Amino acid sequence: MRLRSNLQLVTCLLMLVAGSVPTFSAEVPLHQQIDSLIAEGNKQFEKEAAPLADDATFLRRVRLDLTGTIPTAEEVRAFLADTTPDKRTLLVDRLIASPEHARRMQYVFDTMLMERRGDKHVPAAEWRNYLRKSFLENKPWDVLVEEILTVDGTDEKTRPAAKFLLDRELKAEVVTRDLGRLFLGRDLECAQCHDHPNVDDYLQRHYHGLNAFLNRSYLFKDPKTKKTSIGEKAEGLVTFTSVFTKEEGKTAPRMLDLPEIPDPAKVKVLYKVKPAKNVRSVPVYSRRLQLADAMTNSSNIAFQQNIVNRLWAMMMGRGFVEPLDMWYADNPPSNPQVLDLLTKSFQEHDSDMRFLLRELALSKTYQRSSHVSTDAEIPQKINYGVGLLKPLSPEQLAWSMMQATGVTEKTLASVKAKQIKADAKKETKKAEDPQWQEENVHEALKRNVTSFVSTFGTVGAQSSRFDASANQALFLLNGPLVQSWLKPSGTNLTARMKKLKTAPETAEALYLAVFSRLPEKTEIEQVAAYLKASQDQPDQGLPQLVWAALSSDEFRFNH
Amino acid sequence: MRRNQGCNPQDHQVARRQFLAGAAGGAISLGLSGSPAIAEQVKGQHKRILQVYLQGGVSQLESWDPKPGTEFGGPFRAIPTSVPGMHISELLPYTAQRMHLLSIVRSINIKINDHGQGRLFMEKGRRAGEYPYIGSIASKYLAPPNSELPGYIHISTRGLSDNTSAFLGAQHGQLKFEGVKPPKNLALPKGLNQTAAARRTELRQQFNKQFGRGRPKSMTESFDVSFQQAAKLMARKTFFEKEPDGKDLERYGKHDFGRNCLLARTLLENNATCVKVTHYGYDSHAENFNFHLEQLGEFDKTFAMLLDDLDERDMLDSTLVMVYSEFGRTPKINVRYGRDHWGTAWSIALGGCGIQPGAIIGKTNEKGTAVADREVDAGHLFHTYLQALGIDSTNDHEIAGRSIPIGDPTADAIKELLV
Repeated sequence: MRLRSNLQLVTCLLMLVAGSVPTFSAEVPLHQQIDSLIAEGNKQFEKEAAPLADDATFLRRVRLDLTGTIPTAEEVRAFLADTTPDKRTLLVDRLIASPEHARRMQYVFDTMLMERRGDKHVPAAEWRNYLRKSFLENKPWDVLVEEILTVDGTDEKTRPAAKFLLDRELKAEVVTRDLGRLFLGRDLECAQCHDHPNVDDYLQRHYHGLNAFLNRSYLFKDPKTKKTSIGEKAEGLVTFTSVFTKEEGKTAPRMLDLPEIPDPAKVKVLYKVKPAKNVRSVPVYSRRLQLADAMTNSSNIAFQQNIVNRLWAMMMGRGFVEPLDMWYADNPPSNPQVLDLLTKSFQEHDSDMRFLLRELALSKTYQRSSHVSTDAEIPQKINYGVGLLKPLSPEQLAWSMMQATGVTEKTLASVKAKQIKADAKKETKKAEDPQWQEENVHEALKRNVTSFVSTFGTVGAQSSRFDASANQALFLLNGPLVQSWLKPSGTNLTARMKKLKTAPETAEALYLAVFSRLPEKTEIEQVAAYLKASQDQPDQGLPQLVWAALSSDEFRFNH
Repeated sequence: MRRNQGCNPQDHQVARRQFLAGAAGGAISLGLSGSPAIAEQVKGQHKRILQVYLQGGVSQLESWDPKPGTEFGGPFRAIPTSVPGMHISELLPYTAQRMHLLSIVRSINIKINDHGQGRLFMEKGRRAGEYPYIGSIASKYLAPPNSELPGYIHISTRGLSDNTSAFLGAQHGQLKFEGVKPPKNLALPKGLNQTAAARRTELRQQFNKQFGRGRPKSMTESFDVSFQQAAKLMARKTFFEKEPDGKDLERYGKHDFGRNCLLARTLLENNATCVKVTHYGYDSHAENFNFHLEQLGEFDKTFAMLLDDLDERDMLDSTLVMVYSEFGRTPKINVRYGRDHWGTAWSIALGGCGIQPGAIIGKTNEKGTAVADREVDAGHLFHTYLQALGIDSTNDHEIAGRSIPIGDPTADAIKELLV
């Protein structure tokens, strides 16, 4: 419901600022504007571009992108049978409002912001919970970033948000670089010691301008609680020298080329809490506290564009700017008009990420098939004319495999069964609450997810490139975890398949559960041939049939 | 010179500094061995790296830069080596006899005294940032395309799993062997026989063929490559599990380090590209001298045997040998007879492919408290290693729209060390 009312608000706002988006009337929804701009200048676009993906592919795609897993076989059947004309829109709305969406966003933003580094000062579980709660209430991006960059870790309630700064131990070369990369889309690292050698517009003063927000802050370990928080001094300037030109510079805090933020004129009292042994000093004027404002300020266009680029990449498989943190004049956005449109719209909607994701999901650009007819040439040149393959993240892969093999359903049934008894005693109805279900299934299965993350995840800067190692393949080929999901047990997939009599039935069960679609005729024949050939090893036939599907390209990617 | 075989050396350069007069002669006279048949074999060999990492920070004073009789020199003597005029610690008697195969850099100042940061600097040639390790770079640029083994293998008994390949991608990441134990998940699942395994692989390929039609191939191909690599490793399961030859074990030592070095030899013989062996136990904050006596006792003979074997197989020309740590140890001896972390003035040894043998680069002052000549850091070493292997470290990695300098542009190679 909230989405509906947001939409009305959108329309109002669009009318107010109609002058700034001249080509469209206020009534045209954002997703249609995106499609028009993507096709602009190419009359042949619709002809050259791939058609929209079919319902089954769309369901799988959007379920993965918005809620982090493939659908169940029943969901596929139901969606295919649904004749409601706007069923795709209804689906997107339902998914975005679900607790699974908050979990998916938690994974995406945890990976984006912490890059799978090990824990230092704030436990990952608390930070992730903070993120998830933020997404459950659809906290706007600027508010989230403001919290992350403002908290100092002294208040237990807000401490989880301090992970970004505390776990980077306020080391300038780490924090400054990551502020640039993750919030501004600019990897200024090479500009630490000199203006960037290859990128003309990354200057040493950009790096040190960012650094100056934090150069007075330090880690303080409370001698009693042993907890680390952030203290700050009232003095300290940032100066730098190029190791190449020996030119010297100095800067107050600043965002890229925005004006410097000068310290207040000399004041008599420098500290609220003076520095002393075992005391966390707090200055009257804090440079660090200027950071969040300067970062999220609407004049800081790099900040707005960065998140739009990242959400676009999450949905479309490629950012307007790639790599996501290499934004500079010689590497301009692929579709600047779309980027501008989205950035403006995102700002007008108070940095509402659900709004943006919804509009992206409803666009034709998002819904195009990743497949061109066999004889047609794959159009490389036109942007976003064909859906791109997106490798599943380690979390998506784990949850999708558990969904496909029936582990998730089985777990849900068992946690529900327990809770229904408890509910009856206490006269509660927790077992039916979707958020309760999500949390408890997650709790029961999170160790499996961790196994996938440690095998398929990379620590450090994340890349949209796909790569795969022998370790990962061995994990899939022979690892005990995946094999354990393939043994027939209870109502899991192989147990259900075992009861089926004919090859077409078996093929249908396999395709619906694993590939989230119905099999074609040739595919049914293929499964039949395999089953016939593996009659000599009846115990392995079905499990390895499912294995081959789980390990296939079609399963490994969101297509 | 023999070092020219199998390498593409730059113009032969005479070492400018501290290159001991007798060394070059020694290397030449030794270089005449080797039958034509073996030389022919060597030509086909690709360039490789053997890394012996002395974890914790080996003391330069108890190894490559002894200062006997000085204030911080400690109890051990210096002994002459096979290179006239070159002395190293008496804790390395076997290695001393093979110094004509190696060179020493005695003037390293990395200005870091932290294990993690020191290691990263030594591996990446950068003080900070996400850059690939030398081993991953070797995997990317030196490994033959049809290699039977992953490009970068680390034999270690513990330690962290780093993201060693950074932007070069997971296929160039370090494959870790826990000691001589092969990687995890090499055996087929219980109850699955070879026929059924072949059948499931074939079915997987059928699924992929269908999916691949009318779709770009690049991503699905790298997924497939990972399965091919896995299959190669699985096919070599028995090779990894093979018990080493008794005589070899006798020579190398039956301890973990001996077994690990034997495995390293086998891997290098089988065309692995970069093999790293970690030897633990040099972080001697207390009882530095006893610890080094024990640890280097284990290291010395094993390493010397490995060096002999590589030399005998004419593999040194194509194999860069690195013996290194994250830092050295303080000259000052603390109250617990220990030496602490010390990045300020310490040494490494290296040799083989592309490296001028028998040289000493740089020196420390009389008490070993500072670098006195030819100061270098891990950035210089990084350029040196790569250039010795024929990789132009001043070039860029060209990765998905990014040009990233391979070595730190503000550092350069130790040219006088390169052949």
